[in-house]
Amino acid sequence: MRGVSRSKMPKPPRRWQTFALLIIFVSYVAATVWSWTFIDMTLTTLFGGFSDLWNLITYMLPPNFDNLPTVIEATIETVWMALIGTFVSVLLSVPLAFLAARNTTPNSVVFAIGRAIITLARAIPTLVLAAVFTLALGIGPLAGILALALHSIGMIGKLFTEAVENSEEYSREAVLSTGGGKWKTVVATIVPQVTPAFIGTALYRLDINLRESAVLGFVGAGGVGFVIQTELRGLDYQRAISAVSVIFVVITIIEIVSTRLRASIIGDSLAKPGRVTERSKKREAKDQRMIIDAVTTRQLTPPMTYERKLRAMMGITFLVLLVTAIITIEMPVISSFGLLDDVWRSILRLFPPDFETAGADLWRGIAETLAIGFIATTLGLLISLPLGILSARNIMAKKFVYSTTRLFMLGLRGLPELVVAVLFVSAMGLGPVPGTLALTVGTATFMAKLIGDALEEVSSAPREAVFATGASGIQEFFSAVLPQALPNLVSQTLYMLDVNLRSSTVLGIIGGGGIGFLLLSALRVLEEQTVGAIIIVIFVIVYAIELLGSFVRWIVE
Amino acid sequence: MASSNSGERVPLIRLAGVSKRFPNGTLALDNVNLDVQRGELLSLIGLSGSGKSTLLRHLNGLHQPTAGEVFVEGLNVSKAKTSELRELRRNIGFVFQLFGLVGRATCLENVLTGALGRLRGPRYGIWSYPKQMRREAFEHLDRVGLASQAYQRADTLSGGQMQRVAIARSLMQRPKIMLADEPVASLDPESSAQVLELLLRVATEENMTVIVTLHQVELAVGWAKRIVGLRDGQVVLDRGATGLTQHDVMDVYRRVDHESTPKPSFAAENANLTQLAQTQLQK
Repeated sequence: MRGVSRSKMPKPPRRWQTFALLIIFVSYVAATVWSWTFIDMTLTTLFGGFSDLWNLITYMLPPNFDNLPTVIEATIETVWMALIGTFVSVLLSVPLAFLAARNTTPNSVVFAIGRAIITLARAIPTLVLAAVFTLALGIGPLAGILALALHSIGMIGKLFTEAVENSEEYSREAVLSTGGGKWKTVVATIVPQVTPAFIGTALYRLDINLRESAVLGFVGAGGVGFVIQTELRGLDYQRAISAVSVIFVVITIIEIVSTRLRASIIGDSLAKPGRVTERSKKREAKDQRMIIDAVTTRQLTPPMTYERKLRAMMGITFLVLLVTAIITIEMPVISSFGLLDDVWRSILRLFPPDFETAGADLWRGIAETLAIGFIATTLGLLISLPLGILSARNIMAKKFVYSTTRLFMLGLRGLPELVVAVLFVSAMGLGPVPGTLALTVGTATFMAKLIGDALEEVSSAPREAVFATGASGIQEFFSAVLPQALPNLVSQTLYMLDVNLRSSTVLGIIGGGGIGFLLLSALRVLEEQTVGAIIIVIFVIVYAIELLGSFVRWIVE
Repeated sequence: MASSNSGERVPLIRLAGVSKRFPNGTLALDNVNLDVQRGELLSLIGLSGSGKSTLLRHLNGLHQPTAGEVFVEGLNVSKAKTSELRELRRNIGFVFQLFGLVGRATCLENVLTGALGRLRGPRYGIWSYPKQMRREAFEHLDRVGLASQAYQRADTLSGGQMQRVAIARSLMQRPKIMLADEPVASLDPESSAQVLELLLRVATEENMTVIVTLHQVELAVGWAKRIVGLRDGQVVLDRGATGLTQHDVMDVYRRVDHESTPKPSFAAENANLTQLAQTQLQK
């Protein structure tokens, strides 16, 4: 530094983004501190909560599988609900996506309406929809299926629309100029391009819907949630945990299967690539022969190669499952259109919304909802940092450390957070604290996985460079690993805050605090117009969060 | 073949005073008058941005003129209804620089999409087309020499093969007119030669009228019977391909110096192309 005076050192450039980020960071911390005092969260309640949880675990063990037949039946119903709900949602989303995609929409009015439907669907949580639909359709899986189908449009429709917008347009212009006409051309050129993305999205949503449908029973909308709730009400924890463990196993299995399937669909081949064995060689040779045969004999149908067989098998399996689901659930396929009329009338009864009856409680509910979301995110993040680092393969040298951590997190993530919440509520009583802790556990495990993944994606070249200067492992972490992973971490924290605030709007429905509790009370006494008011408040909260989220992401990028 | 208008026969294609100004203000075509007779093999040459592609897209109604009129097979394209335009497009094959194939679909399926204009309702997958059409599609693949790739995905082919599949797709329309917009600009010299030869062969076999835009003069001279040169949206050259002089071509590739000085890159491109044209003509 000799020869250069301190004042002549160039200052780092300051952009308004840096300033905006600072404001966001400060307001985030302020919001957390405010939340902490608002809920009256103290370290004593926190640790008291954990000791209650410990008691809960001792009550639950060993699980009592006496109720296994009932549990299995309810679990199967849960799976069928998720399957039908996702399928109906895909059916509705496919046309919607083409109407709402910039490049295929017929006109700007249809475009705006399409986008509005997708946004609206995303902003009203499944559990809220299910609670309202049970008023019209009665207790049972039908209300749950409808709720899953409508809410899923928010995500499926959005991702489908993006897939359509990202498709290439050269083939479209080419086929259009053969005189194909607009929709014929779209089906011939865009549909083949987006099919893998559509199937991948549907499978992904199926996973999510399975978790969601596990808790729909809490509001009487069918599935295993009802069994869990009944056992908890009877304080039979050992039987409740048997239901929880069965649904946990099913969720995990389906997640593994769907992840595998998704990977191969995105990789464009259902046949597992990579390993070359005697069998795979034989298969390929057979495929080649079939293709050559087909083209030399001018066969007019595509040859049944191994890949095509796999696809056909997958399609048939899906159809069989779907039909079984519809039959088992005794879903009224045709008369359900008549039921839609009931649903529509029950929705109309929510209007005009009555904000007066709930009054000041509404404000308290909103504040509590926000507070729960902020505390859960911050606490979860704090817990997840060490967990994430422990699970990163490239930072922890010992396989035992990272694989144990990963397994532990995988186990906790397998449970839908509302199931965790209902257990916590039954251990600690009604109120915001058990709800907050449940979301904290969910956040911690989810963020730990993201942090672990983000750290593993860190490029190794700078690490080696820093290491080569003789830095210690910890120095290497702070100067070469963290800076690379930080932008990703910030955006994931925002995402988590978004998820938690959404969840905390419905926590109250199962007694976990927040505005959902008002919704539950209003539903119980059938104050439908108050229900309408609360749903509007929930919509505004969720939509505002989404807008804020995209604004912050815009600044960060 | 004479380049002047005979005036007695009604031309297959007539552009009368056609101008096109895009919404961003660019004047792509400037008072273009052009007659094309049935069975002509015509090549449009010019720098990129000279209006070649825009002119082609006026012929099948993908673009509408700002002024003037376009007649194709007696239809006033500039005043046609959507259904008439679709009918017109069914009879005009169009080959694009970037092929416009659906990469995930098989070659056979890509060829089949050329028949969509003849069919009612949307189609998805080979099964959804009538057997007769599948047979026809196979024949066209055979003609372009790619029948053995019928059940291969289009994105596994080389560029030259893709363009041949695109030509087979156009043949599926049984067109009387074939338009090709820079069909070989993305291909290597060998594939380019194959594709142009294929275009010439099918044009002769089917007695088609073909208009090809090419920015390489040597290819245009070797291929077409008539050369039309565009510069800044104006026709600056229109004559038979035989006996083309160096001066004619230089005129096409000269940029009119408006108030502004041309950018160095244009100048460089100019110099290159002029030199290219010269060497070509000396051969």
